[in-house]
Amino acid sequence: MKITAWSALSPYGHTAADFTQGVRDRRPTAALVPEEEAQLGCLVPDFDPRVVLGKKGTRDMNRVTALAVTAVGSVLDDGTQTAAGTGPDTALVLGTTTGSVQSMTDFTRSSLTGDRPYDVEPGVIPNSVMNCAAAQCAIRHRLQGPNTTLAGGRAAALLGLLYARRLLRAGRARTVLCGAAEEYSHARTWLEARSRDDAPTLLGEGAAVLRLTPAELPTAAPPLARVLAVHTRHAPPGSDPADTIRDTVSAALGQARITASDVWSATGSGLDTAEDDALDALFPRQTRDRLPTLGPLVGDTGAAASALQLATVLAAGGQAPGGHAVITSTDGQGLVAAAVLRMERPH
Amino acid sequence: MLTTDARQIRITEIVCDRLELEPEELAETDRFVEEHGADSLALIGVLAALEKEFKVTIDQSEMPRMAHLAGVREVLSETKGW
Amino acid sequence: MPPNPEAPRPTPVPARGFRSAPAQGPRRVVITGLGPLSSIGTGTDAFTTGLRQGRSGVTPITAFDTTGFAHANACQVQDFDPAPLLHRLTPAHYGRAAQFSAAAARMAVADAGLTDADLASVRVQISVGTTDGESYDLDLITEAHLHGGLPAVTPQAARRVPAPLLGLAVARELGLADTEILTIGTACSAGNYSLGNGLDAIRHGDAEIALCGGADAFCRKTFAAFYRLGTIAPDCCRPFDTDRQGILTGEGAGMLLLESLDSALARGARIYAEILGYGLNCDAYHPVAPQEDSVARCLQLALDDAGLKPAEVDLISAHGTGTKANDVTESRAIRQVYGAAPPRTISLKSMLGHTMGAASALGAIACSLAITHGFIPPTINHRTTDPECAVDCVPNHAVPADLRIVQNNGLAFGGNNAAVVLGRYEGRREGGVL
Repeated sequence: MKITAWSALSPYGHTAADFTQGVRDRRPTAALVPEEEAQLGCLVPDFDPRVVLGKKGTRDMNRVTALAVTAVGSVLDDGTQTAAGTGPDTALVLGTTTGSVQSMTDFTRSSLTGDRPYDVEPGVIPNSVMNCAAAQCAIRHRLQGPNTTLAGGRAAALLGLLYARRLLRAGRARTVLCGAAEEYSHARTWLEARSRDDAPTLLGEGAAVLRLTPAELPTAAPPLARVLAVHTRHAPPGSDPADTIRDTVSAALGQARITASDVWSATGSGLDTAEDDALDALFPRQTRDRLPTLGPLVGDTGAAASALQLATVLAAGGQAPGGHAVITSTDGQGLVAAAVLRMERPH
Repeated sequence: MLTTDARQIRITEIVCDRLELEPEELAETDRFVEEHGADSLALIGVLAALEKEFKVTIDQSEMPRMAHLAGVREVLSETKGW
Repeated sequence: MPPNPEAPRPTPVPARGFRSAPAQGPRRVVITGLGPLSSIGTGTDAFTTGLRQGRSGVTPITAFDTTGFAHANACQVQDFDPAPLLHRLTPAHYGRAAQFSAAAARMAVADAGLTDADLASVRVQISVGTTDGESYDLDLITEAHLHGGLPAVTPQAARRVPAPLLGLAVARELGLADTEILTIGTACSAGNYSLGNGLDAIRHGDAEIALCGGADAFCRKTFAAFYRLGTIAPDCCRPFDTDRQGILTGEGAGMLLLESLDSALARGARIYAEILGYGLNCDAYHPVAPQEDSVARCLQLALDDAGLKPAEVDLISAHGTGTKANDVTESRAIRQVYGAAPPRTISLKSMLGHTMGAASALGAIACSLAITHGFIPPTINHRTTDPECAVDCVPNHAVPADLRIVQNNGLAFGGNNAAVVLGRYEGRREGGVL
């Protein structure tokens, strides 16, 4: 499976170029969140859905949907492929955590506080369902193939690669747009805070999408990278997550038929010390440091985390054509995923 | 309570807001669906917003009549409490 | 522009990935364990009885205060007690939907005659489909937050919310480590999405066992939404009926255990049905208005994947929500594929309500039981078939039937269509279905 295009909306900006520059500079993005009291967050700057996407059809669009629609639009507009990138042969696999908890809680609140319990806004009903973003991407970009929403949390985009590979192998699509989106919201902030016993947490947001085609299918442009392996395992309660991370990475390396010493870069989410420790034990410092670890720079971007990690590798492709990059993700709940990419040429 | 004229203006505002139109873009008998591309969610959105604003209940069976502004005004004028 | 069903179909990409499939090529996949958890019965026996008797799961809503709704019936799983169904999980750590998915998976494993040790010895693929995730829990949190502010939201309640827990709960309940866990949030066709994923995973050697299905917990959010849209029936759900007035929201879970035919034969497992194929597509048109041509294309994709002609299908388990729009669009799409005299077409939602992400999973379980036991579950509450959606919906009473091939439909918000084709396993045939 090969990657022929990518897009990223991130705290570094709206474009892949913004992202590339930001990760090259390893620039931290935490800033005070507008309209929140002394709250730091890593938001996509100046992202207003009605400005970015226009006023038609965006009246009720929530932020995560707008992020996803924009990221999918960018990957289709990459310029390296003709209009053949849409239609019934193109699938979308979009990662999320829980959809938009802001839209969901707002909706329920309106039912609880309205004069009548059904004094809710019909236009936002689709927003309160998890597949809203994927469906809107399909509608706006005419993607008529399989349209899958994966609730995978931080690992969503790596699980998406597994799922995309399966679709391509079975001939259920010729192209898969695979990525993830997460929004920053007030509701997400307080839910995360409560679930972590109010420990301070830096939350971020973003979206990134890759265009994937089968390895053997000829494409107009040479690929940016190849996905050599993806693997996932589960650390059941009571087990050592570091063991699971090591087993997962080893399995992925084995599938890719390389060893740890062949790896040019190995990065984790940067949001989990067990993950950092496991990777440090597997790879030398030089390999660990070649590419930035995003967590400390852009916060916990939820489902977008592993999608942006993949984008980090693609943004750096030119630095080491032919080099192998390992990416891992853990969600803090026991879900572990790893991918091995081979970089092919500069973007 | 708003005056009759003010209520008619408010109706136009609510419909235009839901249909993502400027008031000058929507003539009194322009058909929402055929001429302005409104979908079923937007139409129910119009009904729901009018109910909430004017604290009335509109039977959904009236929706076919609410195909344009004039129809909306007519249906509203017949609701209990208008 | 709706897609043209006559248009040339895409050439399938050769079945090759970066990890080679088993040498013998695509494997046949069978269903050997069922875990239904529903308003008409939990566990295979009770669910079968419910289907045979045409039981109705409708009761007045007890999950939340319904003051202000003119009518408030639903299909809730009454008196759900997770404790006896779960061996490992502490129920309080999970939302209602994850409790459902884990309990249903546990039942499916037991039904398949497998132990946790059996599962731990092979690679397992888990896919749980859902529309709302833990929206029931999120509704409770929203209410607590509204009245008591942040301190009223306990950390444990907040930790139950993330949707990936629906899949993780299954892995934890079964103590699985060598497993791929997907929670698929493709709304009301997510159950079929999960089954298709499990089918492909085993077909091509990504896993030896797949646990797939869907789960959703009944919640205020979804009820209020459908109520506002005017699509909640005041009394009961009457699919394909002239007087149908909409859906009743419901809840439940359905998990199915899939394995390769070789594996099932080697261990002498009871085979309920074979999964012959599936199809997925997206209308890419409107969030809530299904498109006839696109639905027809999805049904055709599933038949093509199974290598079957429409005339070979004996029964369709329709999405059949009982709304004015769905039943007309779906029955027209069925005619587009099957011609003027389609096979009998039933709607389980007449009994179960709309169980959202669990709907097509419970549908697949019902189809498996129908094939195994030779009967067609009825479409209950039926009085007069609407000529606009004229199908033989097997009104009100189950009938005996010799079923060889059954199609199970799921349509969803966002135009996400998914259809699965099941067949009776009739012994090893030369060449097989694939």
